[in-house]
Amino acid sequence: MVAVHQVLPVFAPRDAIGNHTAAVRRCLRSMGIGGEIIAGEVVPGAPDAAQTVRRARPSRLAAEEPVLWLYHASTGSPVAEWFAELPGPKAIDYHNITPADALEPWEPHVAVELRHGRRQLASLTGVARWALADSAYNEAELVALGYEWTAVVPILLDTAQLAAVEPDPTAVAELKARKASTGGADLLFVSRLLPHKRQDDLVKALAAYRLGFDPAARLTLVGGVGSARYADALGDFVADLGLQRAVTFAGSVPPAQLAAYFQLADVYVSASAHEGFGVPLLEAMAHDVPVVAYGSTAVPETVGDAGVLVASSSPEVLAAAVHRVVCDSALRDSLVARGRRRLQSLGLPVSTAALRAAVTSILDAAGLAAR
Amino acid sequence: MSEIDLSRIQDEIAEEVRRRRAAGDFPPGLEQELDAMFAKYAPAGTSDDFDDVLAAAEAQSFIHADVPTASQRRPLAYVKRVLRKTMAWYVRFVAQQVTAFAGTVTRAVALLGHRVEALERVTLVSRPPLVAPTVDASAVVVPALAGVPGRVLHAECGTGALVGALAAAGADAYGVEPVEAAAMEAAQAGLDVRADTAMAHLGKLAPAALGGVVLSGCVDWLAPGDVLALVDLAVRALAPGGVLAVTSVGPRAVSPVVADLSPGRPFHAETWRHVLSGHGLEIAQVAALSGVAPVLAPVPAGTPGADVLNANIDRLNAELFAGDAYAVVARKPR
Repeated sequence: MVAVHQVLPVFAPRDAIGNHTAAVRRCLRSMGIGGEIIAGEVVPGAPDAAQTVRRARPSRLAAEEPVLWLYHASTGSPVAEWFAELPGPKAIDYHNITPADALEPWEPHVAVELRHGRRQLASLTGVARWALADSAYNEAELVALGYEWTAVVPILLDTAQLAAVEPDPTAVAELKARKASTGGADLLFVSRLLPHKRQDDLVKALAAYRLGFDPAARLTLVGGVGSARYADALGDFVADLGLQRAVTFAGSVPPAQLAAYFQLADVYVSASAHEGFGVPLLEAMAHDVPVVAYGSTAVPETVGDAGVLVASSSPEVLAAAVHRVVCDSALRDSLVARGRRRLQSLGLPVSTAALRAAVTSILDAAGLAAR
Repeated sequence: MSEIDLSRIQDEIAEEVRRRRAAGDFPPGLEQELDAMFAKYAPAGTSDDFDDVLAAAEAQSFIHADVPTASQRRPLAYVKRVLRKTMAWYVRFVAQQVTAFAGTVTRAVALLGHRVEALERVTLVSRPPLVAPTVDASAVVVPALAGVPGRVLHAECGTGALVGALAAAGADAYGVEPVEAAAMEAAQAGLDVRADTAMAHLGKLAPAALGGVVLSGCVDWLAPGDVLALVDLAVRALAPGGVLAVTSVGPRAVSPVVADLSPGRPFHAETWRHVLSGHGLEIAQVAALSGVAPVLAPVPAGTPGADVLNANIDRLNAELFAGDAYAVVARKPR
């Protein structure tokens, strides 16, 4: 029996990497491979059982059976150094590390952590022989750092279940009443409030859209506060523009309320300057909401041909793209149909097959498969 | 259901933006105005300005010893307050040392900045306080940029004559100009011209954000290393199929004052051909330009012997300064 033990800085609920880690464990078990999840911090409500680095006994785990250690790299953490010292063959799964420059003026301590993460990722080339990436964009970064064996394994996401939650009827009724009273299109974006997610560009785009096309349009920003200073600046900016009634900061919401926002949205719009993958783009497709996105980093790879990608995050360009999608019913229908196909192409059967193939290759190369 | 061609949709969206801008639905400088509004609320250091970042570092070098104690659970807030009080002697001691260290580092960086400034003064990296001769390149540049895939930037554009000509020809054109008075004059004429340097503006753009870039003015006096860095940024900002045009007064058209005080000189057309090809662009056109603005000014009419003097001045202008102005047009491969 072989074990693949997964190591990550934080194992948390309602977190894309946490959910992915739990899904990887399920996939490995279906292959007859066991393994623990070991995290620097295990947040209550995490999607699976896990132990902390402090309590883990790696030497004992390695002595019990042949092991492969798999580290999920997404930020700077002392856990990466702990991982580097583990006995036995190692691989990493790279979920991208946000470039520090975007966060530096807003949250300098986070920027330091991210820079540290990039340095750790580079130093792990001498430790981890195999590297998985959840997009070709991320894989290219690994190759540039000198990783010799790489493979793309998309995030294990049950795309068939992305729209399975019933929308909160109270929230739906409120949103419908608002739409009925003032009219106007509803724009939606889902992500924590962070400078590189560029919610400020979305507010600018809304201002341009209201100016040029639809004076009653609204923007809903769903997601908790990732940077308090950025969130404060956004609030002040919205007030300065006089858009308090047009922009809703919904915060982090339960799945049923999120489903209500998706149900009432006319268009999902992203101006994000950095995405390693972009799960909410797929959530929008799952809810049949057409996508308009600034084609930065891994966004084009995730969206494929199922959204309108624009080359600039200029407010006028985003506004015109939103206008086109809102007004062109044939385009909307086409994007919705393409979105469904896109979800199939990135669904669990495809991503688990990619993971199985990659794990099999790694275990073969590590001489662990035949034991 | 028939399949929709998304690239055609993207082109139509770009055309819609162009039409709305031309119609005034999107006023000139809207994006700039919105950016400036948000910048008011951004913390110091968001820009790449050295003084701005240094000010942010100074502000953050003070380490607060009084940690927040608020909590949604009142007993926890009480415990935090007690801990803060009992730990104050320790936390303050450590915070003072970290503050002292951060302050010293910030001071050292500031001193380094002063040294760099002094070095810049010696090497004249700054813009010369002079107006270089200009050239009307619209006859070549406007047709060369027709139908490019996206917005067209003219950097640095002066009072925006070429921006106006491009816009009149249907291009979605805007400009940047570091001389604020010139930028303001252009903006007052209804053109989308922003006060910025070519280098700073191109550095802020996302890759492939533009359909066309015209470089002029600064390329004639920047140091060669800066010109090459500018070309790097311009090529990065161009979308596949986009066009880069460089216009220059040519090496002979530089006045002695500019020649003596500028860090760089205008390149020969052949040099630009080499530089742009080296950046992976396909050279589409190298055209001689006429109409270099005269460097030597005529004497006022009515001055004794004005006719003879001005005829000689015209000949000197033609002989010394005209004749090698040019435009080089290159295309980024798709």
